[in-house]
Amino acid sequence: MLKLILYVWDNFKAYIVLVLLVITSFILLSQNNNPRVQKVRAVAFGSFAAVTSVAYDLFNTTQIKRENDELREINSELMLKISMLREQGIINHELKEMAGFKDTVDLPLIPASIVSKSLSQTQNTLTINAGDRSGIKPGMPVINYQGLIGIIQSTSEDFAIARTLENVDLKLTVKDERSRINGIMKWDGEELIIIDVPKTYDFQLGDRIVTSEISSIIPVPVPVGVVTEKREGKAGILNVIKVEPFAELLNIEHVYVLGIVQSIQKKNLELNFYKDK
Amino acid sequence: MKAKYFIPALIVFPVLLIQLTLVPLISIESVIPDLILITLVYFSILYGQTYGTILGSFYGLVFDLISGSLLGSSMLSKTVAGFSAGYFSSETRREKYLNTYSFALVVFLSSLIDQVIYSFFSALDFNTNILLILFEQALLPSIFTSALSILVVIIPFKRSYN
Repeated sequence: MLKLILYVWDNFKAYIVLVLLVITSFILLSQNNNPRVQKVRAVAFGSFAAVTSVAYDLFNTTQIKRENDELREINSELMLKISMLREQGIINHELKEMAGFKDTVDLPLIPASIVSKSLSQTQNTLTINAGDRSGIKPGMPVINYQGLIGIIQSTSEDFAIARTLENVDLKLTVKDERSRINGIMKWDGEELIIIDVPKTYDFQLGDRIVTSEISSIIPVPVPVGVVTEKREGKAGILNVIKVEPFAELLNIEHVYVLGIVQSIQKKNLELNFYKDK
Repeated sequence: MKAKYFIPALIVFPVLLIQLTLVPLISIESVIPDLILITLVYFSILYGQTYGTILGSFYGLVFDLISGSLLGSSMLSKTVAGFSAGYFSSETRREKYLNTYSFALVVFLSSLIDQVIYSFFSALDFNTNILLILFEQALLPSIFTSALSILVVIIPFKRSYN
């Protein structure tokens, strides 16, 4: 028996190792949402990100001058926009008070820099140099001055990984800013699309797409992109809307994390509704 | 076990550092070369198929843990890639594949296998055109990786003539 085992091992060693490791990979694939696995992952990427952040800063110093010029230009444009918005804000505030609305929106922004990018056609992720200690939690939106970039996936003490819009695992409820119609947006590996849109829905080319208030992930309107194409789905019954994101995901270096997570009160209320049924 | 077998396992960390910080700067429309795969192919040819399979699995696992991609997806693809690259390892052929431009071809084939499996597990969506996905996510990165791997061949040649 031992001879047979030794014979098989000697002749098929590489295949046996391959099969065992492939099975291990499949087991790991099925354990992705296991809290213990996520904890190990947080420790691993947290430790490595500390090294990466130093290297990333070193390599990116050459881009600082160009970035400064761009920021100066954006600053001037923003200054003009701010003065216009201030005027409109005063009017808006007065109108809201008159209508009896209570402005409860208070959105804390946590600044962070990107320390590494894992670029892939399907699973784009970013590692940022802010984590648990800065108050960042999984599920928080990541934005920059252009718009939405992604969602925090996991955190360690000082770092966090964010899934970008170009990640097949990120699906968001968005709406057309003009027609107020909601839809589910996702990355299909090639482009950002709003899927399963009935043909009667009013999406026009050039419409701005923002996150929807009914989203369980981002319950405030954050700019996402603009509609660039409207085409028939494969089945011919529903439309597919192509969205060009505002944020240039390849070039971003600094981001803000919007310090909001899904309202527990709202979540509990919705769960109660299902329980009653 | 000889200490030289542990060196490739340690090399993955500086390679990953470059992969995640410098390599995105040379990306072309999100297509980037895979330095980890080039390293894997090199050591698979040098030390054999079984070693390449185990090393591929380790490289993939480390990449999954550090990059935030689906845990197990890179591990699976790199395990098979390391196994495939190991086919080109034997006493008689080793030098040929490591020191000539055939190395780029081995890298291309291994990268193609790696990217096809990785794409399959990370972007399984029957609504999208599979051929297009394979072209964009497997063929283009493989060509880029293979082109970059020529450096591995060129640099030792220069050293040997110096």
